[in-house]
Amino acid sequence: MSGNAIEVKDLRKTFKVQKNREGLKGAFLDLFKREYNEVAAVKDISFSIPQGEICGYIGENGAGKSTTIKMLTGILVPTSGHLTVGGYVPYEEREKFVQHIGVVFGQRSQLWWDIGVIESFQLLRKVYKVSEPDFKRRLDELVERLQLQDLLNRPVRKLSLGQRMRCELVAALLHNPSIVFLDEPTIGLDIVVKSEIREFLKDMNRDHGTTILLTTHDLQDIEALCSRVIMLDDGKIIYDGGLEELKNRWGTGREVQFQFGTPTRLEQLRSWTEALPALAWSAENELEAKVWIPLEINVSDVLGQVVSKADITDIKIIETNTDDIVRSIYQSGTAEKKPDATIREDEGVVATHV
Amino acid sequence: MFNGTGGAYLDFIRIRFLTMLAYRVNYYTGILIYTLNIGVYYFTWKAIYGGGGELGGFTASQMTTYLAVSWMARAFYFNNLDREISTDIRDGSIAIQFIRPYNYLMVKMMQGFGEGLFRFMLFMIPGMAIAMLFFPVKLPTAPEAWAGFLVMLFFSFLINSQLNIITGLMAFFVENNEGFMRMKRVVVDLFSGLIIPISLFPSWLGSIMEFLPFQAITYLPGSVFTGRIQGVGIWNVLGVQVLWFVLLLIPMVWLYRASRKRLFVQGG
Amino acid sequence: MSYYFGLIGEYLKNYIKTRMTYRADFWVEVISDLLFQVTNLIFIFVIFMHTDSLGGWSQSEVVFVYGFFMVPFGIFSCFVNLWGFSERYIVKGEMDRVMTRPAHNLFQIFLENVDPPALVGSIIGIVIMAVSGAQLDVAFEWWTIPALIILTISAVAIYTGIYTALTSLSFYSDAPTGILPLMYNVQGYGRYPVTIYNRAIQVLLTWIMPFAFVGVYPASLFLEREEMRNMAFLTPLMGAIFFAIGLTAWNYGVRRYRGAGS
Repeated sequence: MSGNAIEVKDLRKTFKVQKNREGLKGAFLDLFKREYNEVAAVKDISFSIPQGEICGYIGENGAGKSTTIKMLTGILVPTSGHLTVGGYVPYEEREKFVQHIGVVFGQRSQLWWDIGVIESFQLLRKVYKVSEPDFKRRLDELVERLQLQDLLNRPVRKLSLGQRMRCELVAALLHNPSIVFLDEPTIGLDIVVKSEIREFLKDMNRDHGTTILLTTHDLQDIEALCSRVIMLDDGKIIYDGGLEELKNRWGTGREVQFQFGTPTRLEQLRSWTEALPALAWSAENELEAKVWIPLEINVSDVLGQVVSKADITDIKIIETNTDDIVRSIYQSGTAEKKPDATIREDEGVVATHV
Repeated sequence: MFNGTGGAYLDFIRIRFLTMLAYRVNYYTGILIYTLNIGVYYFTWKAIYGGGGELGGFTASQMTTYLAVSWMARAFYFNNLDREISTDIRDGSIAIQFIRPYNYLMVKMMQGFGEGLFRFMLFMIPGMAIAMLFFPVKLPTAPEAWAGFLVMLFFSFLINSQLNIITGLMAFFVENNEGFMRMKRVVVDLFSGLIIPISLFPSWLGSIMEFLPFQAITYLPGSVFTGRIQGVGIWNVLGVQVLWFVLLLIPMVWLYRASRKRLFVQGG
Repeated sequence: MSYYFGLIGEYLKNYIKTRMTYRADFWVEVISDLLFQVTNLIFIFVIFMHTDSLGGWSQSEVVFVYGFFMVPFGIFSCFVNLWGFSERYIVKGEMDRVMTRPAHNLFQIFLENVDPPALVGSIIGIVIMAVSGAQLDVAFEWWTIPALIILTISAVAIYTGIYTALTSLSFYSDAPTGILPLMYNVQGYGRYPVTIYNRAIQVLLTWIMPFAFVGVYPASLFLEREEMRNMAFLTPLMGAIFFAIGLTAWNYGVRRYRGAGS
């Protein structure tokens, strides 16, 4: 096997979409003859992911993420282009190929609804032809790591979402796949469970060298896990590289919301943070205010200034999510143009120092 | 306000009608298969009648007409409200339906009627025309038979939908009411007189049927259409239908109330 | 092969465990299945209240055919349950999950939907065959049991082929859900002596929707009705052909689903 777990070259997928004509007459016409449009969901993308990498695959809904994942996991056959995953061409030898991958669709369960989780695991053991000792070893490891001891005999319908998602992970990993696809693995989960799952995935990647490709809308997932991000928009890759660089270029900043116990005026807030003129304060009323913090300023610096002076009852920090970043890239034009802008800014900075 | 809601109800009819229009394959094949159903029973009865005579008050020719009109009436009144309701209940979306500013049962009835209108125009009428091409169906000549039949057909739809709604709402009280829905379908097909006219049943079974609502769905309107019931008789059987419609409102509304209570008190 | 048999056991085990939680439902389902069969038997009994023979077949013979009909039907309903395929696997997207597993996708779908209560129907079918067979003095020969097994498997293959082919339309059209329940009506007609129907319907039930091969043709072998013996011998061949058609249609549908063959 080569060093790359996933190799994609000029991958393209088009769908035929039925046109629905309007109104009663249109519906009646559709009854007899339908018309179709061709829509390209993925447009000639290329990338490769080396073994043991955790890569985030992000983009807005409809950008082509799921379509790509479905091609990589052998569900869909590409319209054109080449791809190999773990040395296989996924769509050609589907049944053999899927033995080597694990897939979690965050919004879709693969567990039996009415019976104990362990029964589903037993069934998957048979489906994936895992030997009894291997299964036991793997299950013990996963159960201990994810603390599922008490849940194993509980029916899925009695599990909380977080418990269920941990079980879904076990179900997808029982056969020790070398490549794992996670489609929105943390969607709808609370922060504690999210960070548990992230820790787990990181450990798995470190201990077993598992390659992970995950899609998410949660920038924190990416921050915690991914050394690399591929960003998709309208079926094309608009960014492929490190996360820090991505955030520096396009992250727009963060917002902090405050609630005060005693009335606090906007002018007061501004004066406390005079040293940081880039902040943008706004207030609904005297008990609530928001501040916009650009990326180059640390949130803790701002908090440090305010917390010591104001009577604060609640603080909320709102991170930019991947959608915001995509949107800001989109608004600023294509990804290729942006680096020039950054360079110019850098030059500008250099100039003032000279 | 009331006006707005009324308009919304009419919209449910329209939307369902349009939705049905989109499902083309079902109804081309539906007509064929209903015609086949009629054909199979036609030849079965033909074999039974042999030379001629009368069975349970039906002449061979009346039996043919009865068969055709019964199947094609089913093409109109049949719907899957039971399944829709039990799906709403099982996936929890009924909670949203219950808090909307309309009556859930009315909405279901309207949707059923939208479907019925579609089935009447694009399934029953062409189906009947095709059945008449193949089999010696005799249409009634008396205008009162036509009028009576059409009014009764509407009540067939109402009564069948009421039974469907009742079966669907049972999903609140039994974990999985798939079995009940299947039983209901079988019972309605058999005891409504679709498969065998009630008068051919053994007399003890026939008299039990007289005290059940099923005959009002197929047997009574079919009897009017074939001319076995005429004149004042039509008013009588229509009265039976109206009576069942009113009587079935009671368990339906009661179940609906109980469902709401169960949903809001126990959270489903 | 042993892999697939192992899976059957595993899925059945999970089915039984699921059912343990809803025990009452199991019996409701058994009863509703049987009620369906009972109504058909009622039809036969009511008919024979008004006539002595149906196209030259006595009541016991027709009931015997019915008994045979129930055996493959029960097995088919247990293992091939494609109701709601379109809704569950296409609309709700569970097909994707199936495709990420290393077993044939159709086989997984069959197993995920096993319905063992239907087997009770098969057992009752055997009882009906035994009772009406005794009334008719049907000879019990050395070949009776093997023939019963072969004909049952063939009939199950015919059902499976037809329903799989029809269900595979879900890959092309939004909602062909209406076809399956309608087919349900038609299949019953193969259990009456098809010779009473006119030529067109006979041809339909023999060659196009060959439901005569799941009822009256194979059963006639045991009743020693000479006129249909050749048809009875043809049953395994029809089973093989229709099973192949169903599987091919399915694989084409899946290809289309994966975007390869449209």
